[in-house]
Amino acid sequence: MPISTKIMERPEAVETSYLRAALKGMKITLKHMLNPKKVTQQYPEVETRLHPRWRGTHRMEVHADGRPKCVACGLCPTVCPANCIRLVGGEDDQGNRYPVVYEIDEFRCIFCGMCQEVCPVEAIHVGQDFENAEYTRERFVYDLDRLMNQDHPTTLLWDPADPLSE
Amino acid sequence: MAKKRQPPVEKASVQLLVNDVEITVPEGTTLLEAAKEAGTEVPHYCYHPELSSPAQCRLCLVEVEGAPKLVPSCTTTVAEGQVVKTDSESATKMRQGVLEFYLVNHPLDCPICDQSGECDLQDFVFSEGRKHGRSKAAKRVIGRDDFGGDILFYGDRCVMCTRCVRFMEEMEQKPILTVVERGNRAVIDTFFEQGLEEAEWAGNVVDICPVGALVSKDFLYKARAWDLEHTPSICPNCSMGCNIEIHTRDNLVQRFKPRKNIEVNGSWICDYGRGGYEWLNQGGRIEKPTMKDTHEPGNGTQEPFGWEDLLRGLGARLKESAESVDVIASPVSSNEDLGAVLGLLKALGGGKILYRCPTSAEEVKLPGKEGLRRTNQLAPNVDGLKILGAVNVGDGSGAGGLEDIGASNSTVLVLGDRLEDQKDGFAENAGLLVYLGSHASQALSQADYILPITTYVEQEGTFVSSGGRVQRFSKGLEGPHAARPAWSILNELTNIISGSSDGDNVEEAFQKLSRISDAFTGLSYEDIGPEGVQLDAVAKKD
Repeated sequence: MPISTKIMERPEAVETSYLRAALKGMKITLKHMLNPKKVTQQYPEVETRLHPRWRGTHRMEVHADGRPKCVACGLCPTVCPANCIRLVGGEDDQGNRYPVVYEIDEFRCIFCGMCQEVCPVEAIHVGQDFENAEYTRERFVYDLDRLMNQDHPTTLLWDPADPLSE
Repeated sequence: MAKKRQPPVEKASVQLLVNDVEITVPEGTTLLEAAKEAGTEVPHYCYHPELSSPAQCRLCLVEVEGAPKLVPSCTTTVAEGQVVKTDSESATKMRQGVLEFYLVNHPLDCPICDQSGECDLQDFVFSEGRKHGRSKAAKRVIGRDDFGGDILFYGDRCVMCTRCVRFMEEMEQKPILTVVERGNRAVIDTFFEQGLEEAEWAGNVVDICPVGALVSKDFLYKARAWDLEHTPSICPNCSMGCNIEIHTRDNLVQRFKPRKNIEVNGSWICDYGRGGYEWLNQGGRIEKPTMKDTHEPGNGTQEPFGWEDLLRGLGARLKESAESVDVIASPVSSNEDLGAVLGLLKALGGGKILYRCPTSAEEVKLPGKEGLRRTNQLAPNVDGLKILGAVNVGDGSGAGGLEDIGASNSTVLVLGDRLEDQKDGFAENAGLLVYLGSHASQALSQADYILPITTYVEQEGTFVSSGGRVQRFSKGLEGPHAARPAWSILNELTNIISGSSDGDNVEEAFQKLSRISDAFTGLSYEDIGPEGVQLDAVAKKD
């Protein structure tokens, strides 16, 4: 026998039995069963309320005539730390700058909200949305049409009454 | 505090103090250039080193000790013992005030302005301007005007520096642009129905415009300035060899911009050269080296091959078949490519290099800069081909002239030339037809070997242009995965055939030239700086 081995004495069976812990658990369960105050949210039957600063999948604001508000200035792909925005600018029939291609890879996105913060025309927003399930990975690259058709509320990045959080 | 007057160091040189830095400059230098020498950029709009200075933007005013008020540094010349302060309180305050005035009518549409990111107004206001404007008046709105050619004018953004007007008057010497109206209503315009489509160098007004007032239609809204990668290169569209910067994004060439080289092109390039970049973005590239399947004659299928086996096979075939090789080179081939061809011919026992070059009847001169012109040879390395002994064939459009090529049992090597004027099945009877090309060619689809090479933007190397000036260009794009520079392929072939072991790098490829041609003797690849070297000057030095 090696010198360094220390022999431990086994605890009594009363102490090691699972019965005690099981009863303890049952006690907590019973307590909550009888407690009238309910905390469980009945999702999806009841819609969950999200915090106003919740940052979820994006949404592109549109003008009244249905054009995207985006002017393809290129600031959001520049500021994006995850490099998930692909933008190709072009000229529309009225000579305005507009996004020919605007794609956001929501898998790559880290939902920091910097695209919304940097946007000079308040076009791209992160939104209060979390139900994003899809059957294919490709569907997570949102193109311009999809971003324009999103209808969930947009995120408030700061409290309008207290913009500097003072 | 005032510096003691000192006698001039030598005649026609002046010593002065700029922002506490003592410098010596030639007599007649402007304060602005002297400050640049001392490491201080004085903000300015109307001044351009190659144009006259009207001193009207009032932004380059600096304090000179002893002068009663601030002086415009772009027109004031240096004087002995002058003490200049560009960042003194009065100069800074003045600049801040001038910049505020510039912003009274400037639309601040930076998000949609193509100049954003390389705009002098943006830079200066960001570094020195006020945080907030105080003007409450409505901004003047002029809107957008088509100046003709490639030029669009956004009147609201203009700061009235008149660089464009002076360029057209002094350099191009076709005064198409002018200032219309005065004061607050002043605006740049063309004369009546005249437009910039008559000009041949008008693209330069976009480069010298310090703001986004003059923009290129071709580049309009295409990319942001900060997304572009800049690669120093040489314009491939004529044999003048203007120094350019190639701006690339997403592995595509987005535009050509002039790169300053006083010896060749100053700050200018012509519209013909500026517009000729689309072929570098063209698809239809050869992706893999292929060899005609000899086991099934007539079938003509070409199997993809690895480089090593293929070159060994080709080397063996060249060795046994070739007595004399006919090479059809492209005038866009670099000197290194041609040196490698000559090395291969030497190893095989001789041959000749032919080339065809599109030409134009007239040169297009820029009257304000002596010697600068679009030459009538519309390819970059015609001078290099001539020095290395290539023979020009064909007509002025770069077609024809190949009737004698492709006799039975001859060996033909096509380097870069797509032979677009030739019929399918070019040189069918030739014993061996090898095509080294970047793009697939219809005429050469039946070649025995088709080897993918990079275009000149996808490799580095040198051209000889503007009458014997050797200039370097750099790699700005990634070519197809399997493509290699032509010199690399040809040098490896030479190694296989002659059993030599020359290295596979551009320096050694250039070094080969000095063994072949006296013009390159005593010159190494590193010796050619960013602005090139005159070949006869090198010869004189030795």
